[in-house]
Amino acid sequence: MSFSELKDRHVAATAMVNTLRDRLNQKRQQLLDTDVAGYAKSQGRTAVNFSSTDLVCCRTLQGHTGKVYSLDWTPEKNRIVSASQDGRLIIWNALTSQKTHAIKLPCAWVMTCSFAPNGYSVACGGLDSECSIFNLNSQVDRDGNLPVSRVLTGHKGYVSSCEFVRDQDTRLITGSGDQTCVLWDVTTGQRISVFGGEFPSGHTSDVLSISINSSNSNMFVSGSCDATARLWDTRIASRAIRTYHGHHGDVNTVKFFPDGQRFGTGSDDGTCRLFDMRTGHQLQVYSQQQANNDQDVPIVTSIAFSISGRLLFAGYSNGDCYVWDTLLAEIWAFGGHRKVI
Amino acid sequence: MAANGEGAEPEARPQPSHPRPLRRTGDFLGKHRLSAAISRLNQEIQYLQVELDELETMEPSSAACKEVVLSMEGKSDALLPVTPGPENPAWHRWFRPVQSSHSRKWWTHKGSDVS
Repeated sequence: MSFSELKDRHVAATAMVNTLRDRLNQKRQQLLDTDVAGYAKSQGRTAVNFSSTDLVCCRTLQGHTGKVYSLDWTPEKNRIVSASQDGRLIIWNALTSQKTHAIKLPCAWVMTCSFAPNGYSVACGGLDSECSIFNLNSQVDRDGNLPVSRVLTGHKGYVSSCEFVRDQDTRLITGSGDQTCVLWDVTTGQRISVFGGEFPSGHTSDVLSISINSSNSNMFVSGSCDATARLWDTRIASRAIRTYHGHHGDVNTVKFFPDGQRFGTGSDDGTCRLFDMRTGHQLQVYSQQQANNDQDVPIVTSIAFSISGRLLFAGYSNGDCYVWDTLLAEIWAFGGHRKVI
Repeated sequence: MAANGEGAEPEARPQPSHPRPLRRTGDFLGKHRLSAAISRLNQEIQYLQVELDELETMEPSSAACKEVVLSMEGKSDALLPVTPGPENPAWHRWFRPVQSSHSRKWWTHKGSDVS
Protein backbone atom coordinates (compact mmCIF):
# COMPACT_ATOMS: atom_id res chain seq x y z
CA MET A 1 0.00 0.00 0.00
CA SER A 2 1.37 3.44 -0.82
CA PHE A 3 2.08 6.13 1.71
CA SER A 4 -0.77 8.31 0.48
CA GLU A 5 -3.21 5.37 0.56
CA LEU A 6 -2.19 4.77 4.17
CA LYS A 7 -2.71 8.45 4.93
CA ASP A 8 -6.22 8.29 3.45
CA ARG A 9 -7.01 5.27 5.58
CA HIS A 10 -5.70 7.09 8.66
CA VAL A 11 -7.90 10.11 7.92
CA ALA A 12 -10.94 7.86 7.42
CA ALA A 13 -10.30 5.90 10.61
CA THR A 14 -9.84 9.12 12.61
CA ALA A 15 -13.11 10.49 11.23
CA MET A 16 -14.88 7.25 12.18
CA VAL A 17 -13.50 7.41 15.72
CA ASN A 18 -14.71 11.02 16.07
CA THR A 19 -18.16 10.15 14.69
CA LEU A 20 -18.53 7.24 17.09
CA ARG A 21 -17.37 9.38 20.04
CA ASP A 22 -19.96 12.05 19.15
CA ARG A 23 -22.65 9.38 18.95
CA LEU A 24 -21.55 7.98 22.30
CA ASN A 25 -21.72 11.45 23.90
CA GLN A 26 -25.22 12.02 22.52
CA LYS A 27 -26.41 8.62 23.68
CA ARG A 28 -24.98 9.22 27.17
CA GLN A 29 -26.69 12.62 27.36
CA GLN A 30 -30.01 10.94 26.62
CA LEU A 31 -29.43 8.53 29.51
CA LEU A 32 -28.82 11.35 32.02
CA ASP A 33 -32.45 11.67 33.21
CA THR A 34 -31.39 13.22 36.53
CA ASP A 35 -28.36 14.05 38.61
CA VAL A 36 -27.79 13.20 42.28
CA ALA A 37 -29.05 16.60 43.53
CA GLY A 38 -32.19 16.39 41.39
CA TYR A 39 -32.94 12.88 42.61
CA ALA A 40 -32.19 13.71 46.28
CA LYS A 41 -34.49 16.76 46.17
CA SER A 42 -37.24 14.69 44.60
CA GLN A 43 -36.95 12.38 47.59
CA GLY A 44 -37.35 15.29 49.98
CA ARG A 45 -33.72 15.30 51.14
CA THR A 46 -32.43 18.58 52.56
CA ALA A 47 -28.92 19.96 52.63
CA VAL A 48 -26.52 19.50 55.52
CA ASN A 49 -26.73 22.53 57.80
CA PHE A 50 -23.41 23.53 59.33
CA SER A 51 -23.22 25.88 62.29
CA SER A 52 -20.13 27.83 63.33
CA THR A 53 -19.13 25.23 65.92
CA ASP A 54 -19.13 22.35 63.42
CA LEU A 55 -15.97 21.33 61.57
CA VAL A 56 -13.57 22.86 64.07
CA CYS A 57 -9.85 22.37 63.53
CA CYS A 58 -8.61 20.02 66.24
CA ARG A 59 -4.98 19.60 65.17
CA THR A 60 -2.46 21.72 63.30
CA LEU A 61 0.64 19.83 62.26
CA GLN A 62 3.49 22.28 62.02
CA GLY A 63 7.00 21.42 60.91
CA HIS A 64 7.36 21.58 57.16
CA THR A 65 9.13 24.63 55.75
CA GLY A 66 7.82 24.27 52.20
CA LYS A 67 4.56 23.53 50.40
CA VAL A 68 2.96 20.28 51.46
CA TYR A 69 2.05 18.46 48.27
CA SER A 70 0.64 15.21 49.56
CA LEU A 71 -0.33 13.29 52.65
CA ASP A 72 -1.64 9.85 53.54
CA TRP A 73 -3.09 8.20 56.66
CA THR A 74 -2.36 4.75 58.04
CA PRO A 75 -5.35 2.38 57.87
CA GLU A 76 -5.76 2.78 61.67
CA LYS A 77 -6.11 6.54 61.06
CA ASN A 78 -3.67 7.47 63.83
CA ARG A 79 -0.53 8.37 61.84
CA ILE A 80 0.08 10.54 58.81
CA VAL A 81 2.90 10.81 56.29
CA SER A 82 3.27 14.19 54.58
CA ALA A 83 5.52 15.18 51.68
CA SER A 84 6.84 18.67 51.17
CA GLN A 85 9.07 20.43 48.72
CA ASP A 86 11.26 21.36 51.67
CA GLY A 87 12.68 17.97 50.69
CA ARG A 88 11.28 15.94 53.56
CA LEU A 89 8.72 13.36 54.46
CA ILE A 90 7.40 13.77 57.98
CA ILE A 91 5.63 11.00 59.87
CA TRP A 92 3.21 12.36 62.45
CA ASN A 93 1.37 10.86 65.37
CA ALA A 94 -1.91 12.51 64.42
CA LEU A 95 -3.35 12.19 67.92
CA THR A 96 -0.48 13.97 69.71
CA SER A 97 0.68 16.10 66.73
CA GLN A 98 4.23 14.91 67.37
CA LYS A 99 6.66 14.00 64.65
CA THR A 100 8.03 10.48 64.83
CA HIS A 101 10.28 10.67 61.73
CA ALA A 102 11.62 13.43 59.48
CA ILE A 103 13.06 11.80 56.37
CA LYS A 104 15.45 13.79 54.20
CA LEU A 105 14.74 12.89 50.58
CA PRO A 106 17.32 12.25 47.87
CA CYS A 107 15.21 14.47 45.58
CA ALA A 108 13.48 17.48 47.08
CA TRP A 109 10.88 17.73 44.30
CA VAL A 110 8.45 15.29 45.81
CA MET A 111 4.85 15.22 44.61
CA THR A 112 3.24 12.23 46.31
CA CYS A 113 3.51 9.90 49.29
CA SER A 114 1.76 6.84 50.64
CA PHE A 115 1.74 4.82 53.87
CA ALA A 116 2.06 1.05 53.56
CA PRO A 117 -0.89 -0.90 55.07
CA ASN A 118 1.36 -2.41 57.76
CA GLY A 119 2.45 1.08 58.87
CA TYR A 120 6.17 0.21 58.65
CA SER A 121 6.99 1.69 55.24
CA VAL A 122 6.30 4.84 53.29
CA ALA A 123 6.68 5.54 49.58
CA CYS A 124 7.19 8.81 47.77
CA GLY A 125 7.83 10.01 44.24
CA GLY A 126 8.29 13.17 42.23
CA LEU A 127 10.32 14.89 39.55
CA ASP A 128 13.14 12.33 39.78
CA SER A 129 10.78 9.87 37.97
CA GLU A 130 11.41 7.32 40.71
CA CYS A 131 9.41 6.00 43.61
CA SER A 132 11.47 5.64 46.82
CA ILE A 133 10.46 3.29 49.63
CA PHE A 134 11.61 3.88 53.23
CA ASN A 135 11.37 1.33 56.02
CA LEU A 136 10.61 3.26 59.20
CA ASN A 137 12.31 0.62 61.36
CA SER A 138 15.63 0.85 59.51
CA GLN A 139 18.79 2.02 61.24
CA VAL A 140 19.62 5.59 60.36
CA ASP A 141 22.95 6.21 58.59
CA ARG A 142 25.80 8.13 60.15
CA ASP A 143 24.26 11.45 59.08
CA GLY A 144 21.12 10.52 60.95
CA ASN A 145 19.14 9.94 57.76
CA LEU A 146 16.85 7.03 57.12
CA PRO A 147 18.25 5.13 54.11
CA VAL A 148 16.14 4.37 51.05
CA SER A 149 15.26 0.67 51.22
CA ARG A 150 14.06 0.29 47.63
CA VAL A 151 13.88 2.50 44.53
CA LEU A 152 11.30 1.78 41.86
CA THR A 153 12.77 2.89 38.55
CA GLY A 154 11.27 2.66 35.09
CA HIS A 155 8.97 5.62 34.64
CA LYS A 156 10.04 7.98 31.88
CA GLY A 157 8.39 10.97 33.49
CA TYR A 158 7.63 12.43 36.91
CA VAL A 159 5.78 10.33 39.47
CA SER A 160 2.67 12.35 40.25
CA SER A 161 0.89 9.89 42.51
CA CYS A 162 1.45 6.64 44.33
CA GLU A 163 -0.66 4.40 46.52
CA PHE A 164 0.02 1.08 48.25
CA VAL A 165 -2.55 -1.60 47.45
CA ARG A 166 -4.51 -1.83 50.70
CA ASP A 167 -4.55 -5.55 51.36
CA GLN A 168 -1.08 -6.21 49.96
CA ASP A 169 1.93 -4.59 51.61
CA THR A 170 4.12 -5.57 48.68
CA ARG A 171 2.24 -3.87 45.86
CA LEU A 172 2.13 -0.24 44.89
CA ILE A 173 0.54 1.66 42.00
CA THR A 174 2.05 4.82 40.56
CA GLY A 175 0.79 7.42 38.09
CA SER A 176 3.26 9.34 35.96
CA GLY A 177 3.90 12.23 33.61
CA ASP A 178 4.94 9.57 31.06
CA GLN A 179 1.15 8.89 30.57
CA THR A 180 1.26 5.48 32.22
CA CYS A 181 0.31 3.89 35.52
CA VAL A 182 2.39 1.03 36.84
CA LEU A 183 1.74 -1.77 39.32
CA TRP A 184 4.96 -2.59 41.20
CA ASP A 185 6.20 -5.43 43.37
CA VAL A 186 7.91 -3.44 46.12
CA THR A 187 9.98 -6.38 47.44
CA THR A 188 11.70 -6.98 44.07
CA GLY A 189 11.39 -3.50 42.61
CA GLN A 190 9.96 -5.01 39.43
CA ARG A 191 7.10 -3.67 37.34
CA ILE A 192 4.25 -6.20 37.34
CA SER A 193 2.06 -4.34 34.81
CA VAL A 194 2.10 -1.12 32.83
CA PHE A 195 -1.26 0.54 32.14
CA GLY A 196 -1.24 2.72 29.05
CA GLY A 197 1.71 3.88 26.99
CA GLU A 198 1.86 3.76 23.24
CA PHE A 199 1.10 0.04 23.08
CA PRO A 200 -1.49 -0.59 24.50
CA SER A 201 -3.57 2.60 24.42
CA GLY A 202 -4.24 4.51 27.58
CA HIS A 203 -4.10 8.12 28.68
CA THR A 204 -2.89 10.47 25.97
CA SER A 205 -1.28 12.89 28.40
CA ASP A 206 0.29 13.02 31.87
CA VAL A 207 -1.36 11.00 34.62
CA LEU A 208 -1.82 13.30 37.61
CA SER A 209 -3.63 11.17 40.15
CA ILE A 210 -4.70 7.62 40.98
CA SER A 211 -7.09 6.10 43.50
CA ILE A 212 -7.46 2.42 44.36
CA ASN A 213 -10.93 1.05 45.09
CA SER A 214 -11.06 0.21 48.80
CA SER A 215 -13.88 -2.32 48.18
CA ASN A 216 -12.04 -4.10 45.36
CA SER A 217 -8.31 -3.51 45.24
CA ASN A 218 -8.08 -4.96 41.72
CA MET A 219 -9.67 -1.74 40.41
CA PHE A 220 -8.20 1.73 40.31
CA VAL A 221 -8.95 4.99 38.55
CA SER A 222 -6.51 7.47 37.09
CA GLY A 223 -6.96 11.15 36.22
CA SER A 224 -5.00 12.87 33.49
CA CYS A 225 -4.14 16.04 31.62
CA ASP A 226 -6.12 14.50 28.72
CA ALA A 227 -9.25 15.60 30.64
CA THR A 228 -10.42 12.04 31.23
CA ALA A 229 -10.46 9.60 34.07
CA ARG A 230 -9.92 5.91 33.31
CA LEU A 231 -10.80 2.77 35.22
CA TRP A 232 -8.28 -0.07 35.21
CA ASP A 233 -8.33 -3.67 36.34
CA THR A 234 -4.85 -4.59 37.60
CA ARG A 235 -5.28 -8.04 36.06
CA ILE A 236 -5.89 -6.59 32.58
CA ALA A 237 -3.19 -4.18 31.43
CA SER A 238 -4.17 -4.31 27.77
CA ARG A 239 -6.85 -1.65 27.93
CA ALA A 240 -8.71 0.61 30.34
CA ILE A 241 -12.06 -0.89 31.42
CA ARG A 242 -13.76 2.45 30.86
CA THR A 243 -12.94 6.06 30.00
CA TYR A 244 -14.92 8.85 31.66
CA HIS A 245 -15.45 12.03 29.69
CA GLY A 246 -16.95 15.29 30.94
CA HIS A 247 -14.21 17.52 32.28
CA HIS A 248 -12.92 20.37 30.11
CA GLY A 249 -9.46 20.49 31.60
CA ASP A 250 -6.76 18.45 33.36
CA VAL A 251 -8.15 16.01 35.89
CA ASN A 252 -5.85 16.81 38.82
CA THR A 253 -7.35 14.53 41.42
CA VAL A 254 -9.45 11.36 41.61
CA LYS A 255 -10.85 9.62 44.70
CA PHE A 256 -13.09 6.62 45.05
CA PHE A 257 -16.41 7.18 46.78
CA PRO A 258 -16.71 5.18 50.03
CA ASP A 259 -19.21 2.69 48.51
CA GLY A 260 -16.61 1.67 45.94
CA GLN A 261 -19.10 2.05 43.07
CA ARG A 262 -18.55 5.71 42.28
CA PHE A 263 -15.60 8.06 42.24
CA GLY A 264 -15.04 11.81 42.43
CA THR A 265 -12.76 13.95 40.29
CA GLY A 266 -11.38 17.50 40.48
CA SER A 267 -10.18 19.47 37.49
CA ASP A 268 -8.56 22.56 36.00
CA ASP A 269 -12.06 23.40 34.71
CA GLY A 270 -12.91 24.39 38.29
CA THR A 271 -15.44 21.60 38.85
CA CYS A 272 -15.62 18.39 40.79
CA ARG A 273 -17.67 15.56 39.33
CA LEU A 274 -19.09 12.28 40.54
CA PHE A 275 -19.00 9.38 38.07
CA ASP A 276 -20.65 5.99 38.27
CA MET A 277 -17.89 3.40 37.84
CA ARG A 278 -19.97 0.65 36.25
CA THR A 279 -22.10 2.61 33.77
CA GLY A 280 -19.78 5.56 33.13
CA HIS A 281 -22.58 8.06 33.80
CA GLN A 282 -21.63 11.48 35.10
CA LEU A 283 -23.91 11.66 38.14
CA GLN A 284 -23.20 15.17 39.41
CA VAL A 285 -21.21 18.29 38.68
CA TYR A 286 -20.04 20.40 41.63
CA SER A 287 -19.37 23.82 40.16
CA GLN A 288 -18.75 27.26 41.62
CA GLN A 289 -19.22 28.81 38.19
CA GLN A 290 -20.42 32.38 38.62
CA ALA A 291 -23.22 33.87 36.47
CA ASN A 292 -20.77 36.33 34.92
CA ASN A 293 -17.92 34.36 33.43
CA ASP A 294 -15.42 37.22 33.48
CA GLN A 295 -13.81 35.97 36.65
CA ASP A 296 -11.32 33.13 36.52
CA VAL A 297 -12.67 30.08 38.27
CA PRO A 298 -10.06 28.59 40.64
CA ILE A 299 -8.95 25.09 39.71
CA VAL A 300 -9.55 22.07 41.91
CA THR A 301 -6.27 20.69 43.21
CA SER A 302 -7.37 17.91 45.58
CA ILE A 303 -10.51 16.21 46.91
CA ALA A 304 -11.51 13.82 49.68
CA PHE A 305 -14.81 12.28 50.78
CA SER A 306 -15.94 11.96 54.38
CA ILE A 307 -16.41 8.38 55.56
CA SER A 308 -20.09 8.20 54.58
CA GLY A 309 -19.56 10.07 51.33
CA ARG A 310 -21.99 12.81 52.32
CA LEU A 311 -19.26 15.45 52.33
CA LEU A 312 -16.83 16.18 49.54
CA PHE A 313 -13.88 18.31 50.62
CA ALA A 314 -12.25 20.21 47.76
CA GLY A 315 -9.06 22.26 47.77
CA TYR A 316 -8.76 25.01 45.18
CA SER A 317 -5.81 26.84 43.64
CA ASN A 318 -6.71 30.11 45.37
CA GLY A 319 -6.05 28.47 48.74
CA ASP A 320 -9.70 27.96 49.66
CA CYS A 321 -11.06 24.69 50.93
CA TYR A 322 -14.75 24.10 50.55
CA VAL A 323 -17.08 21.36 51.63
CA TRP A 324 -19.71 20.13 49.20
CA ASP A 325 -22.89 18.38 50.32
CA THR A 326 -22.50 15.52 47.82
CA LEU A 327 -26.23 14.82 47.73
CA LEU A 328 -27.59 18.33 47.28
CA ALA A 329 -24.57 19.91 45.53
CA GLU A 330 -24.48 22.81 47.98
CA ILE A 331 -21.22 24.28 49.10
CA TRP A 332 -19.81 25.54 52.40
CA ALA A 333 -16.62 27.42 53.08
CA PHE A 334 -14.84 26.76 56.37
CA GLY A 335 -16.14 29.29 58.87
CA GLY A 336 -19.75 28.23 58.36
CA HIS A 337 -20.75 30.58 55.54
CA ARG A 338 -23.08 29.04 53.09
CA LYS A 339 -22.73 29.46 49.33
CA VAL A 340 -25.59 28.28 47.18
CA ILE A 341 -24.87 27.38 43.58
CA MET B 1 2.71 25.98 3.27
CA ALA B 2 6.28 27.29 3.46
CA ALA B 3 7.27 29.78 0.79
CA ASN B 4 10.64 28.12 0.23
CA GLY B 5 9.02 24.83 -0.81
CA GLU B 6 10.20 22.83 2.19
CA GLY B 7 6.63 21.98 3.04
CA ALA B 8 6.12 20.23 -0.34
CA GLU B 9 5.31 16.51 -0.49
CA PRO B 10 8.36 14.23 -1.12
CA GLU B 11 6.73 12.93 -4.33
CA ALA B 12 6.74 16.43 -5.81
CA ARG B 13 10.57 16.78 -5.59
CA PRO B 14 12.68 15.79 -8.58
CA GLN B 15 14.51 12.45 -8.13
CA PRO B 16 18.12 12.99 -6.92
CA SER B 17 20.98 11.62 -9.05
CA HIS B 18 22.54 9.53 -6.23
CA PRO B 19 20.68 7.27 -3.76
CA ARG B 20 19.40 8.78 -0.52
CA PRO B 21 18.95 5.92 1.92
CA LEU B 22 17.92 8.29 4.70
CA ARG B 23 14.80 9.38 2.79
CA ARG B 24 13.88 5.78 1.94
CA THR B 25 14.32 4.83 5.60
CA GLY B 26 12.21 7.83 6.52
CA ASP B 27 9.43 6.70 4.16
CA PHE B 28 9.62 3.16 5.56
CA LEU B 29 9.41 4.40 9.13
CA GLY B 30 6.58 6.75 8.18
CA LYS B 31 4.59 3.88 6.60
CA HIS B 32 5.30 1.64 9.58
CA ARG B 33 4.15 4.29 12.05
CA LEU B 34 1.06 5.07 9.98
CA SER B 35 0.14 1.38 9.80
CA ALA B 36 0.54 1.06 13.55
CA ALA B 37 -1.58 4.18 14.11
CA ILE B 38 -4.29 2.79 11.79
CA SER B 39 -4.31 -0.52 13.72
CA ARG B 40 -4.77 1.36 16.97
CA LEU B 41 -7.57 3.45 15.48
CA ASN B 42 -9.32 0.31 14.16
CA GLN B 43 -9.09 -1.25 17.60
CA GLU B 44 -10.50 1.94 19.11
CA ILE B 45 -13.38 1.81 16.61
CA GLN B 46 -14.20 -1.73 17.75
CA TYR B 47 -14.19 -0.73 21.41
CA LEU B 48 -16.37 2.32 20.71
CA GLN B 49 -18.88 0.10 18.86
CA VAL B 50 -18.99 -2.24 21.86
CA GLU B 51 -19.63 0.71 24.19
CA LEU B 52 -22.40 2.04 21.91
CA ASP B 53 -24.06 -1.39 21.97
CA GLU B 54 -23.75 -1.43 25.76
CA LEU B 55 -25.59 1.89 25.99
CA GLU B 56 -28.60 0.45 24.13
CA THR B 57 -29.55 -1.57 27.21
CA MET B 58 -27.99 0.54 29.95
CA GLU B 59 -30.20 1.96 32.69
CA PRO B 60 -30.41 5.76 33.01
CA SER B 61 -28.48 7.77 35.61
CA SER B 62 -31.42 7.87 38.06
CA ALA B 63 -30.71 4.25 39.02
CA ALA B 64 -27.16 5.11 40.10
CA CYS B 65 -28.33 8.34 41.79
CA LYS B 66 -30.72 6.25 43.91
CA GLU B 67 -27.83 3.98 44.90
CA VAL B 68 -25.75 7.01 45.94
CA VAL B 69 -28.53 8.24 48.24
CA LEU B 70 -29.10 4.76 49.71
CA SER B 71 -25.38 4.18 50.26
CA MET B 72 -25.32 6.92 52.90
CA GLU B 73 -28.31 5.72 54.94
CA GLY B 74 -27.33 4.88 58.48
CA LYS B 75 -23.62 5.44 57.89
CA SER B 76 -21.72 6.97 60.77
CA ASP B 77 -19.92 10.19 59.89
CA ALA B 78 -18.20 12.28 62.58
CA LEU B 79 -17.84 15.27 60.28
CA LEU B 80 -21.59 15.75 59.89
CA PRO B 81 -23.40 17.95 62.42
CA VAL B 82 -25.67 14.97 63.11
CA THR B 83 -24.29 11.52 62.29
CA PRO B 84 -26.84 9.31 60.49
CA GLY B 85 -25.29 6.21 62.03
CA PRO B 86 -24.16 5.28 65.53
CA GLU B 87 -21.54 7.35 67.26
CA ASN B 88 -18.13 5.65 67.37
CA PRO B 89 -16.48 5.86 70.84
CA ALA B 90 -13.06 6.09 69.12
CA TRP B 91 -13.99 9.59 67.93
CA HIS B 92 -13.57 11.00 71.42
CA ARG B 93 -9.79 10.53 71.34
CA TRP B 94 -9.62 13.50 68.97
CA PHE B 95 -11.29 15.78 71.50
CA ARG B 96 -9.25 14.98 74.57
CA PRO B 97 -6.77 17.57 75.83
CA VAL B 98 -3.45 17.39 73.96
CA GLN B 99 -0.17 18.68 75.32
CA SER B 100 1.95 20.36 72.69
CA SER B 101 5.63 19.46 72.54
CA HIS B 102 6.44 23.15 72.09
CA SER B 103 4.40 24.64 74.86
CA ARG B 104 2.32 23.63 77.82
CA LYS B 105 -0.87 24.77 76.10
CA TRP B 106 -3.84 22.44 76.27
CA TRP B 107 -6.59 22.34 73.66
CA THR B 108 -10.09 20.96 73.86
CA HIS B 109 -12.78 20.60 71.24
CA LYS B 110 -14.89 23.75 71.08
CA GLY B 111 -18.22 21.94 70.60
CA SER B 112 -19.86 19.79 73.25
CA ASP B 113 -20.81 16.25 72.20
CA VAL B 114 -20.60 14.61 68.83
CA SER B 115 -24.28 13.94 68.19
